[in-house]
Amino acid sequence: MLAALELRHVSKSFGRFHAVQDLSLSVPAGSVYGFLGPNGAGKTTSLRMILGMLSPDSGELSVLGSPSAMSVRNRVGYLPEEKGLYRKMTATSVIAYFATLKGLSSARANQRARELLGRYGLGAFADKKVETLSKGMGQKVQVLASIAHDPELVLFDEPFSGLDPVNQEVLEEILIDLKARGCTILFSTHVMSHAERLCDRLIILGGGRGLFEGTVSEARSLLPIRITLETAEASPTLEILPGVHSMEAQSSNLWRLELEPGASASAVLEACFERSLRLRCFDVQDPDLHEVFVHLVGPSAREAALR
Amino acid sequence: MRNALLIAVREFLDNTQTRGFWFGILLVPLLWLMASQVPLILARKGTPTRHLALIDATAGEHLFDVVLHHLKTAESRRELFHFREWVAPRLKSGQALPAADKQPQAWSKLQEDLGPLMKVDAGRFAPPAPLNRLVALPPELEWRGHLSEFEGRLRDWMREERLFKPVGVDEEVPLFAVAILQDGPSSNAPPILRFWSANQADTQLQDRIVDALSRNFRSREYTRLGMDPSTIAQVEGSQAQLMSFNPRKAEGEEQVGMADLLRQWAPSAFVYLLWIAVFSISQMLLNSLIEERSNRILEVLLSSVTPLELMTGKLVGVAAVGAVMTLGWIGSLVLMTFWTLHTAGAAALAADSIANRLPLELATLLLDSWLLPAFVLYFLLGYLFYAAVILALGSTCNNLKEAQNFTGVIALLMMVPLVSIAFIPKDPNGPVATVLSWIPPYTPFVMMNRVAANPPLREVIGTLVLLLLSDVAVLWGCARIFRTAVLRTGQPASLVQLARWVLGRD
Repeated sequence: MLAALELRHVSKSFGRFHAVQDLSLSVPAGSVYGFLGPNGAGKTTSLRMILGMLSPDSGELSVLGSPSAMSVRNRVGYLPEEKGLYRKMTATSVIAYFATLKGLSSARANQRARELLGRYGLGAFADKKVETLSKGMGQKVQVLASIAHDPELVLFDEPFSGLDPVNQEVLEEILIDLKARGCTILFSTHVMSHAERLCDRLIILGGGRGLFEGTVSEARSLLPIRITLETAEASPTLEILPGVHSMEAQSSNLWRLELEPGASASAVLEACFERSLRLRCFDVQDPDLHEVFVHLVGPSAREAALR
Repeated sequence: MRNALLIAVREFLDNTQTRGFWFGILLVPLLWLMASQVPLILARKGTPTRHLALIDATAGEHLFDVVLHHLKTAESRRELFHFREWVAPRLKSGQALPAADKQPQAWSKLQEDLGPLMKVDAGRFAPPAPLNRLVALPPELEWRGHLSEFEGRLRDWMREERLFKPVGVDEEVPLFAVAILQDGPSSNAPPILRFWSANQADTQLQDRIVDALSRNFRSREYTRLGMDPSTIAQVEGSQAQLMSFNPRKAEGEEQVGMADLLRQWAPSAFVYLLWIAVFSISQMLLNSLIEERSNRILEVLLSSVTPLELMTGKLVGVAAVGAVMTLGWIGSLVLMTFWTLHTAGAAALAADSIANRLPLELATLLLDSWLLPAFVLYFLLGYLFYAAVILALGSTCNNLKEAQNFTGVIALLMMVPLVSIAFIPKDPNGPVATVLSWIPPYTPFVMMNRVAANPPLREVIGTLVLLLLSDVAVLWGCARIFRTAVLRTGQPASLVQLARWVLGRD
């Protein structure tokens, strides 16, 4: 699949601070790509380099086939982490204004603004000034302003922050709609459940470096599967089960097993039946992205937070 | 370029679609109108009629009649002044008001005489309420010949701020003042006025009475010394005639008139306008930039436009706001001038007083001189200089409070041309004016102020070229700072850091 966005060994420093180091990634066209990392991991700096607001010290970028986002800026949409709009402008005019800056004619931009506001539940507020909208509505208006020009690639920096659960669902709906019409989406987030639900691929950054790049299931496979197992009889022999890395007795007939990387939970279940163990409970817990994230960035993030 | 234009249009609309902006534009003609009309309105209606009681306690001097006559004459003059104002716009086309007679006549008689010259629907003149009215004392303040006893009663009565109904007046009124006329300490000394009034601010009445008494005393003394008072009055009324000439004017037209004075001082008014315009729109620019910076709108903008496009758009948009503002001011002044001309009428102009000729001279000056082109040129160049600096410094600040540290310094620097407004026209080609002209941030203001004095051409061109080059350098340096600082967060930049950004070392 063609890459909509590629970074090859990109680095950026501010004085003695290395914000991004040797970062490489490839975002397939039409995919949803997660940009995960703790505070200070280099997400915003990377996004600014992708957008051409900052130049990398070294490495190469390719945005929609161009070495600089500025030359394809009308095909790119951007939502920054800290959101703000012109408070005195109406919802329609502010969306239309940003769309005209992306090359749409004034008439088309106004039409698009009203269309989007109507589609995502803000039709009644189209002519209201931004200062009269709630925080959530304002954020939705800003999201709409970043996609009103039908971009091929959108970069969202923490799009879900500050949104209530209902508006988070609306935003997910927007992302799904964008993907459905072939738009490539890259978004950064701290909320792992969003990444798990939405991302085709993701990268986890830590200390300015890429710590993992791949699919969600590839990320999960970085941590072992855990099984909670309860038997009818006390102290059966479990050591002989295949693929078990470690086991911890919770009581005389309740254990927590941790499998070796790549081992299968079904093989363990099969072995239990073969050995005629009378099971009361066999609960498989796949590692979630949150655990993977903490596992990968936890030490460095904790160090950074304490610094 | 398209994006810069879009930013300029938004900037323009954002600033001009506020009530405050239009109020600011209206304020200047409003102040002009107030300055020209309020004194007239106040003269007609503002001061209420003052009720005065007069007691002549002199030994057979008959000063009561002297004061009464003087007050009546002053009142007649005032009525005539208002009558002339009323008549001027009601005269038939082509008719002029006869020259004012030194001896006031009753306006009713005048209106009869002027009847044939006036329009059919002129109506009848209603005289203004009198400024002062002489009334008899209320009965409880009856004068019984003893000053201290009378003044004791008077003080108590006036302290109570009582109202009374004088003879011939339909309503109850306060007693504004009581004037007691006394003989002087010796037979050859002027009389004494004991003036009782709770109002010490309005001195016109006591001044008039003192004037009447002084004139009368002087006249009596002249007679006593064997001199003719009327001859002396005539001699005292004479004054040397001033004829002022300017050697720089064309041969035969050297005499200095009001137009020349206007031509000399009008640039100062324009400098003031220029200063207000540059100062206020630089503030607009700063506010708009700080709003975008603190709301993080800049980041979205910079994903669509280059920093240079953003800076150009903002500069052009706010310049357009400034242009509308100053055009609004100048336009409204021109309109006011023509409105004054229209209401005064051609007949009034024929009277050839300074007040009447002023609008015409002003209009001629505006339309037929280098004043307007110079204003436009220096406005643009001055604005570019200050606006670029404001944008660069504003781009390093996160909020208005941080920006105020910078703007305070700029405002202090801008005080120099403001202070120089008054003294430069007195010595327009002197050393101070010349030196200030060569300092680029001051060039627009100082050279504008020197326009009327025909400064040497080499100075005009030299300072203009220097200003242009400075504008280019400042724009270039400020664009570099803007580009680096605009996305930066944290502490405002230090001067060393700013210098490093300009030199491209960071």
